[in-house]
Amino acid sequence: MSRTFSGRTRRWRVAVALGAAAALGLSGCGLNEGNSSSGEGSGGDAVLRVGTTTDVSNFNPLQSLSKTDSWILNAMYPHLLRIDENAKKAPELAKEYTYTDGGKTAVFTLRDDFTWTDGKPVVAEDVKFSAESIMKYKLGNVAAKLTWVTSIEAPDATTVKFHLSQPYAPFAEGVGFWMSIVPKHIFEGAGDLSKFANDSNWVGAGPFVLESATKGQRYVMKRNDRYPLAPGGKPAVGKVEFRLYPDVNTMMLALRNGDIDLMGTPVPASAAKTFANDSKIKLAKVGALGFAHLTYNMNNKDLARQEVRQALSMAVDTKSIISSVLQGDAREMSGPISPIFADYDNTEIQPYPFDPAGAKAKLAAAGYKDGDGDGLFDGLDLGVACDQSNANITRVVQLFRESAAKAGIKLTNECVERNTFLSRTKDGEYDIDASQWGVFDNPMDQLRSTYLSSNPGGINYNLLKSPEIDRLIDDAAGTTDPAAFATKIKNIDKVVHEQAYLTPLYVENFQFAYNASKFTGFVASPSDLLGMVTAYSLAQVKPVG
Amino acid sequence: MSAPLVTEAEAAATAPATEPAVGTRSAWRTFFRQPSGLLAAAVLVVMVLLAVFAPLIADEPGGTSPDVLRSPSGGHLFGTDDLGQDIFAQVVWGTRTSLLIGVAASLIAIVLGTAIGLASAYFRRVDAVGTVVTDVMLALPTLPLMIMLAAIVNPSVWTLTVIIGVFAWPEVARLIRSQGLVVSAMPYIDGARVLGASGWRIVTREILPAVVPLIVVSVLLTASRAVISEAGLSFLGLGDPDAWSWGRILLNAQRSGVVAIAWWQTLFPSLAILLLVLAATVAGMRFNDIRDPRRNGG
Repeated sequence: MSRTFSGRTRRWRVAVALGAAAALGLSGCGLNEGNSSSGEGSGGDAVLRVGTTTDVSNFNPLQSLSKTDSWILNAMYPHLLRIDENAKKAPELAKEYTYTDGGKTAVFTLRDDFTWTDGKPVVAEDVKFSAESIMKYKLGNVAAKLTWVTSIEAPDATTVKFHLSQPYAPFAEGVGFWMSIVPKHIFEGAGDLSKFANDSNWVGAGPFVLESATKGQRYVMKRNDRYPLAPGGKPAVGKVEFRLYPDVNTMMLALRNGDIDLMGTPVPASAAKTFANDSKIKLAKVGALGFAHLTYNMNNKDLARQEVRQALSMAVDTKSIISSVLQGDAREMSGPISPIFADYDNTEIQPYPFDPAGAKAKLAAAGYKDGDGDGLFDGLDLGVACDQSNANITRVVQLFRESAAKAGIKLTNECVERNTFLSRTKDGEYDIDASQWGVFDNPMDQLRSTYLSSNPGGINYNLLKSPEIDRLIDDAAGTTDPAAFATKIKNIDKVVHEQAYLTPLYVENFQFAYNASKFTGFVASPSDLLGMVTAYSLAQVKPVG
Repeated sequence: MSAPLVTEAEAAATAPATEPAVGTRSAWRTFFRQPSGLLAAAVLVVMVLLAVFAPLIADEPGGTSPDVLRSPSGGHLFGTDDLGQDIFAQVVWGTRTSLLIGVAASLIAIVLGTAIGLASAYFRRVDAVGTVVTDVMLALPTLPLMIMLAAIVNPSVWTLTVIIGVFAWPEVARLIRSQGLVVSAMPYIDGARVLGASGWRIVTREILPAVVPLIVVSVLLTASRAVISEAGLSFLGLGDPDAWSWGRILLNAQRSGVVAIAWWQTLFPSLAILLLVLAATVAGMRFNDIRDPRRNGG
């Protein structure tokens, strides 16, 4: 990634964009009024209308995607694997995968019945082309997952072989789940794929393909009549229409009024009772593949000390946060590995207890003093950065600030507008980062992207450079024996917990609301990124009656 | 942004010569004799008292409680939010921030606006530049610019105050300049000049006193606009995250998706904004009226 702009320049750019967005936003009110199309319709012509909060910012599936981008593009471009309702990998385009050559070659066997909407079959060459393009142009987060690939072979139409420089246990899972497969015959004529917009004449092989896109209003997708994973070989719903509702309150009202049939974004825990008395609206609950956390910037001289990080961990009342902010709908965590990965979560470690007095004693023992008697340690003043638009995290920061004061730690709430937050995170301009990780599909990739000093995923928010951690992670990454691998992951879980590089806050449950009187058959996957609008789920939905 | 309620024509019509006729004391008496003026002043006084004595009236909102999203009742006059915090306490503490920013921002605007307005009125060379700068500032889309600036700097009560104040001065400057022009053309100014008074002395001792009533009106109107700006910026998430403000209560309701089920969380802070802005505006208008010779039979 090139860094042509300094932090300040980028911030100005962000600000200009914001100003422009605000100006446009004023004229954008009421865009969803007067829609004549409706979800009614007989059998195969039914339109499923899905509410979303943001526009599609990028139509190129090989690049990094925001939430709406990935919903729409994942319904168009198949992946080798998907994540099913139990958070396990399940076959999608690939029937199966195996490792040969001592773990140094991953072999995917593809289905032979996927077809691009222009009539051409989906073949191994498409997979090879997609992976090679990502490596060539270093596109999106998948590029980091292809680091070890030395060459790719497509010996026949349904076999793809990835040759690796070293065995890497979760290679096939990571690449299989994250990488979009694009049609080679369309994309190879596009030149530089890092600049390819792909914003018209779409050709896909998923259950639905974009038909029209109206920025700020709607994205209409039509059915692919040959989609083998749908019951009967084609989706039961004729069209899927994504409609834009920037405000979640409006989206909930739209669902109640029958303007949409499904909310793509989860219903906030505090607002779930909006639908309590509505017999038509049902809520589906799924787990998370990420978690909320406080991550400590190791470049800060106070936060570089283990005692301070531990004291901060003891000054967060996670139990009360879960019961109030999330209305009890979340699980506690102890180390960096989520309990979702039951095989790798080290159950021997316990969360730091909420103990402000103990935290205070720990800091006093570490040499911090309260000379002016104001109840706060002198010189210990830390900022907590967060995204102002995340309702739960802003509440957490507010409560954290209050409870930390009891432990003698002065915190400043630095929750700012989303784009400002993202640019500050990128530039390392924070003391404590309070945010939420969206989707980790396996613990190895998670540990590599969050703790390796080379920062391959760009999300080492600790800015940690620890030879010890690097060694432990690299050692685990090359381990092919599943039992030994799990033991090594559990050990890293424990080390990170003892070092308190982060304070995990909670693993949230998400609730999705849909109109059960009109549509049924959704197959919800965990996380708010996947939820009810995965390609597989959309292919299974059918109108009621 | 709303246009200033005192038009230039009106301001110009208010000849300063009539000021001594309406003595300060009788002016205030006229002001309070009108029910609307008295009521507006009473609301403002109550607001100020709420702000000053907030810690005595309600505990600073914080923590969590099991009484989540309760509707208004004896225990919680204005109901509770999604963390179980008391909305009444939030509104009372919000008065502090809103008033502080309103008053401080309007002071910044008044000082800048008066200085530029008077200088433009008296010094021809300054006028050429001052008028252009004022016109340019008036033509700028204020809200997007404030959003932009607020996103760049760290949000705090003080940065918000400065941002709002800096964008509010041009209207004041234009108003002050137009009356300043009328005053500086008066014979007594010529007299002062003939007697050898310096430009500085003429502006500060002769013209400034003549425009003071207009400044008082401007303070009230600018403050009410500043309160709205602050609420708007806080609602957009650009406010001080550590300080309670009315805009922030609204933002909390919107962000947690409870607007449809917890009307009390949006109604009461909105009412507070309405009351304060209305009171300041009415007070400003009434004050302007008592200086109007046409209404006073002058």
